[in-house]
Amino acid sequence: MSEKDKLEQNIPTEIRLDKSKEKLIVSFQSGETFDFTAEFLRVLSPSAEVKGHSEESRKLQYGKSGVIITSVEPVGNYAIRIEFSDGHNTGFYSWVYLHELGLNKDEYWDTYLSELEMAGKSR
Amino acid sequence: MVDLTKEKIIEALEGVKLDDGMSIVEKRIVSEIVIANGKVYFAIDAGDEDPQKFEPTCRLAERVIGQLEGVSSVGVTVTAERQNGQPHPEHKPAPQAGGGNGQPAAGAGPKSQEIPGVTHIIAVASGKGGVGKSTTSVNLALALKELGLKVGILDADVYGPSMPRLLGINDEPKMNDKDEIIALEAYGIKVMSMGFMVAEGTPVVWRGPMVMSALGQMMQKVTWAPLDVLVVDMPPGTGDVQLTIAQQTPLAGAVIVSTPQDLALIDARKGMNMFGQVNVPILGIIENMSYFLCPSCGEQADIFGHGGAREEALKIGTEFLGEVPLHMDIRETSDSGRPIVATSRDSKEAQIYLDIAKKVKERIGTQGHHAGFSSPNIVIE
Repeated sequence: MSEKDKLEQNIPTEIRLDKSKEKLIVSFQSGETFDFTAEFLRVLSPSAEVKGHSEESRKLQYGKSGVIITSVEPVGNYAIRIEFSDGHNTGFYSWVYLHELGLNKDEYWDTYLSELEMAGKSR
Repeated sequence: MVDLTKEKIIEALEGVKLDDGMSIVEKRIVSEIVIANGKVYFAIDAGDEDPQKFEPTCRLAERVIGQLEGVSSVGVTVTAERQNGQPHPEHKPAPQAGGGNGQPAAGAGPKSQEIPGVTHIIAVASGKGGVGKSTTSVNLALALKELGLKVGILDADVYGPSMPRLLGINDEPKMNDKDEIIALEAYGIKVMSMGFMVAEGTPVVWRGPMVMSALGQMMQKVTWAPLDVLVVDMPPGTGDVQLTIAQQTPLAGAVIVSTPQDLALIDARKGMNMFGQVNVPILGIIENMSYFLCPSCGEQADIFGHGGAREEALKIGTEFLGEVPLHMDIRETSDSGRPIVATSRDSKEAQIYLDIAKKVKERIGTQGHHAGFSSPNIVIE
């Protein structure tokens, strides 16, 4: 795959924050459109605060069902930074990551819910 | 003139107190102080507090130092590095669409900012030092100007700023009444350099956040507009500083400069990967010091091996922009501040740069920031 093909993949054409601020709708050049709830994006933040620097240091997020998105800003040409109503704003959501989240949304969500259950926490 | 020393500056800064009555010196939040020809430059470290809180302190420090004898200008920036990753609840940037003209807030978090009045920003980068990146940047910028574009050059090479010398500039930048830095001009292009902020030969340790703070000022607070192209001469290499610039500057593309040697090409590949990771398109590769043209007999000698960059470009499917020979005239004109494109426009070497510039111009026209590679529309309902 050439450098150029790589770059042309998965670049969103539009990122729309719903009026409720609870939903982000991402449309890709490929024609795919995914919508994410603020809670989903918050608990799956790619930030090191959430993911840690290894699988062991990952922190399970909980109690985020009420969060809304307070701002969305571009970062260079490759990502957005999302700020949430709980103050969390250190996650850079790259196009690749957003696409990955979109394709496997249900799986990520189910995994999250079962992790919550195992930890005895609630949304 | 009185001798301006760091001690004098620190002494004066002892009078700059924070809300709790402690001075910024006592708090140990003043960075290394750089003094160069009456210009004083330092940073105040906000640590993990909101950098905006330090703005008034910053302005006060500027006033205090500005009154010292022998000081011609003062630049104080706030840097912040969040150690514990705690967000600042009091700092809530207003939602903004399209990365418009948000207020630059040094260290307050990553921001991607377009420069008002500047159409394309392109980076000239190299995987390692010593390949002639800055000479190439200058001549490419001048060649783009020859093609009828309005061009500026920003020397972001914090490790070895060289634009003032390459363009024969001895002046220091001045401020206008809107508190903007007036870009210097040489050979019809606008110029700003990190070199104006640090003394030549002074080693300065730059971390990503510091660079972005200084670079942010160089982009937002300089009278660039109107420009078609701003050429950013990147620091060589692929470290923290380079990645930060690549990540947070809305670049239309990057030009990679390499010598034909295998070793240099391996580094060039690293450079390309770095830009690839942050979705900055590679406009192409320039092979510098490609071959040696003997000044007396005109014979061509391939000192470093020849054509390596062309092969590499083919291999990874990016454009080969051209090969620049190792030539005495390019070296001499560069060292004496009379770049060859501006001073010997009809020479063979200048023609090579012009051909490269044509390709670059074409490439940013077709795949630049405003055509397909651009960031998505961000719509806040």
